[in-house]
Amino acid sequence: MSDDVILETEGLQLAYGAFMAVDGVSLRIRRGTIHAVIGPNGAGKTSTFHCLTGERRPTGGRVLFEGREVTRKPANARVGLGMARSFQLTSLFQNLSVRENLRVAAQGRDGARALTFWRPAESRREHLAVADEILERLALTARADTAAGDLSHGQQRVLEVGMALAARPRLLLLDEPTSGMGVDDIPVMTRLIGELGREYTVMLIEHNMSIVMSISDTITVMHQGKVLVEGPPEVVRADARVRSAYLGEAA
Amino acid sequence: MANVYVFQVLNGLGLGMIYFLISVGLTIIFGLLNFVNFAHGAFFLLGSYLCYTTVAWTGNFWLSLIAGPLVVGALAWVAERVLIVRVYHLPHTFHILITLGIALIIQESAIMIWGPVGKSVPVPELLQGVVRFGNFAYPQYRLFLIVFSAVIGLLLWLLLERTKFGALVRAGSENPEQVALLGTNIFRLFSLTFALGVALAGVAGVLSAPLRGAHPFIGTEVLGLAFVVVVIGGMGSFSGALVGGLLVGLVQSLMTSIWPQGASLMIYGAMAAVILLRPYGLFGRA
Amino acid sequence: MADARSMTPAPAAAATAPAAGPSLLRGITLLTVAAVIVLPLVLPSTTLAAEILIFAMAALACNLLLGYTGLLSFGQGIFFGGGAYVASLLMIHLGAGLFTALVGAMVFGAAVAAVVGALAIRRTGIYFVMLTLAFSQMAYFVAYTLSDWTGGDNGLLDVPRPPVAIAGATLVDLSDPAVYYAFVAVLFVAVFVAARRIIHSPFGSTLVAIRENEGRAAALGYDTRQFKILAFSLSGAITGLAGALYAMLLNFAPLSNIELVMSEHILIMTIIGGTGSLFGSILGAAGIVLLGDLLSAVWPRWMMLLGIVLIGVVIFMRGGLWGGVESLYDTIRARRAHRRTAP
Repeated sequence: MSDDVILETEGLQLAYGAFMAVDGVSLRIRRGTIHAVIGPNGAGKTSTFHCLTGERRPTGGRVLFEGREVTRKPANARVGLGMARSFQLTSLFQNLSVRENLRVAAQGRDGARALTFWRPAESRREHLAVADEILERLALTARADTAAGDLSHGQQRVLEVGMALAARPRLLLLDEPTSGMGVDDIPVMTRLIGELGREYTVMLIEHNMSIVMSISDTITVMHQGKVLVEGPPEVVRADARVRSAYLGEAA
Repeated sequence: MANVYVFQVLNGLGLGMIYFLISVGLTIIFGLLNFVNFAHGAFFLLGSYLCYTTVAWTGNFWLSLIAGPLVVGALAWVAERVLIVRVYHLPHTFHILITLGIALIIQESAIMIWGPVGKSVPVPELLQGVVRFGNFAYPQYRLFLIVFSAVIGLLLWLLLERTKFGALVRAGSENPEQVALLGTNIFRLFSLTFALGVALAGVAGVLSAPLRGAHPFIGTEVLGLAFVVVVIGGMGSFSGALVGGLLVGLVQSLMTSIWPQGASLMIYGAMAAVILLRPYGLFGRA
Repeated sequence: MADARSMTPAPAAAATAPAAGPSLLRGITLLTVAAVIVLPLVLPSTTLAAEILIFAMAALACNLLLGYTGLLSFGQGIFFGGGAYVASLLMIHLGAGLFTALVGAMVFGAAVAAVVGALAIRRTGIYFVMLTLAFSQMAYFVAYTLSDWTGGDNGLLDVPRPPVAIAGATLVDLSDPAVYYAFVAVLFVAVFVAARRIIHSPFGSTLVAIRENEGRAAALGYDTRQFKILAFSLSGAITGLAGALYAMLLNFAPLSNIELVMSEHILIMTIIGGTGSLFGSILGAAGIVLLGDLLSAVWPRWMMLLGIVLIGVVIFMRGGLWGGVESLYDTIRARRAHRRTAP
């Protein structure tokens, strides 16, 4: 495996009883790219995502991150290695301030060092610095002291992605980042992901076709637990099998 | 010697049926309302005292068997309407706290009314004798207790399985929103179910009074045992409450002569083990 | 599955306002020191004052779990009663001195709490509560059964109150109630300051994050189990210390220390005082111990009042007494600000 690949799966399987949600998926996510996984409902993209984040343990196959096997590592242990995720359903610390959300997120990367219980949290300047930097980037500085739950829906979605950024990952895993966003907010998110793609490797699963087509370097189309097509947007767009898979859903 | 065991098994069945009656109320309330009633033991205690008072005034145990559960159920209905309805939407913590408060009020009121020392209730005249099987004799009241609880259990089962009310309760346990969509007043259903569940604890309290009397501090013990039964049987499960109740009753009865504290230790140990290994109980829905 | 906040009582005001500056922190500590000094002066007896601080310590430990980590534990009596027994037994059978007995109680409390916590946090929501309840009942029956050690129903009698001593030389004799109060007060302030620091440390802020949203905390890299077990240990150590001090205060370790009712009492003090505020725990403990002491002679059924207050707090004042003080303070400040802006 070359250095060029940051995350790789080999014959990934996830079975729920007799049902194979993920059936032998082999992905290669190249460093520095935006790689989208799409597919109609029930294609297995969310199940695949859960195997990558550690939320689910695959029933077969392997997951390699930077050449290290992480298949059986719990979700929290993957953060320290350089993987971070966002949630499809916004999952914030609703009653904590936006800045505290990000500070806690930055602190999580250090794992057991957060067990320090003598020094005041604010003395961890580095984490606050990370939080402030991300606030700026998300254009949320003015709302830093607002409770996260009081942000607008669109801002909460942006903060959701910011929480993953605060872990300073090398691979960002985004679970339907535009899910539930209004038409007005979607361009903001699209621009943000596009920008992030210049610094990070981004893997996302997404429903919204136009976003995927405009920002992705590589697209993997899944269907019935398997990889149907993989390639750059133009190739995927032109592929007849993709169209019939989606039409099948619509029909 | 064998007779001693038969005696204790029968005692265990009787005790088990009382535990069943207490727990089935708790479990129905949990199943439909997703509400944990920490005042359940206190309502049991109230049932026992109401039995004492009715018998003391009228000399009629049978009247107390009707009046006790009715009064307990009515009080529960009021408590639900006035207090509990305000906390359904809050986390379980608040369910626990508000019912702990209600339990304290009931317990202290009982002491105010009936005094800090327990009261004993005579066995009803009609059932004071023993039933003989050859050379084995068993108190009539205890047999009556088993049969009567079984009848109540059967009626309850019919109510839950064969009536519209029961169908709503069962459907509501699965999916409360859907029942609301059916046009049923879900809050009225909640109140009725809460009152019914608590009234069952009242029945148990009345039935146990002639055996164990009425004691002001028994609420916590009864509540603890009811939790054991409900957890072992599976929260929300009717048959679980029956089997769990009988199991706990039998274990307690058989261990009384050997090591009573050991029985409690075993029972609570079993409760912890069930939650850790089979969190939905032996009969619960996954 | 129940969401991570299902165990959380009122969103704790103090913990949710990280903006609260160091001046306020110091203010609360000063307030505590002042309270500790004033208590024995205004109360009829120093023994009563000591009892208040001991229960305030237990409530504070309970608050670390309930208010800051979102864990409603019915196991606090295990650590309280256990601490009382361990300290007493160390002194009676091994002739242990004051500090050995207290440290022994803390270590025991921490260890038992770690085990109880490690098992209980395998479940969430009501099942978690039920597990702590089952362990609490088991501990009670174990203590009852081991009557050779614990005195069973009669309790453990003749618990000594050894002096503060270094290398066998007595420094302070604690037999005078006022002196013992001072000793308890010093320990209490130390525990209070330590708890405040812990809450505002990375560790403490992570506990709050776990209370708010455990799933997210795990996704951010925290091993949430580890944090919750540590929170339990910490709570167990402080509660064990309180139990030991209580046994020395009474010269007696009753079985009721380890009863479920004790766990309930500690919980009720914490909640009435205000979850998520350490000073609230002092208010809660003081309120309930005082109420009991003042009323029990006049009206033996004062516990009914406790039930009413508990219901009142749940329905009208989820921040507890401290929450009430805070909102009053806010109202007054808002009025003043309003008056100032008015022409």
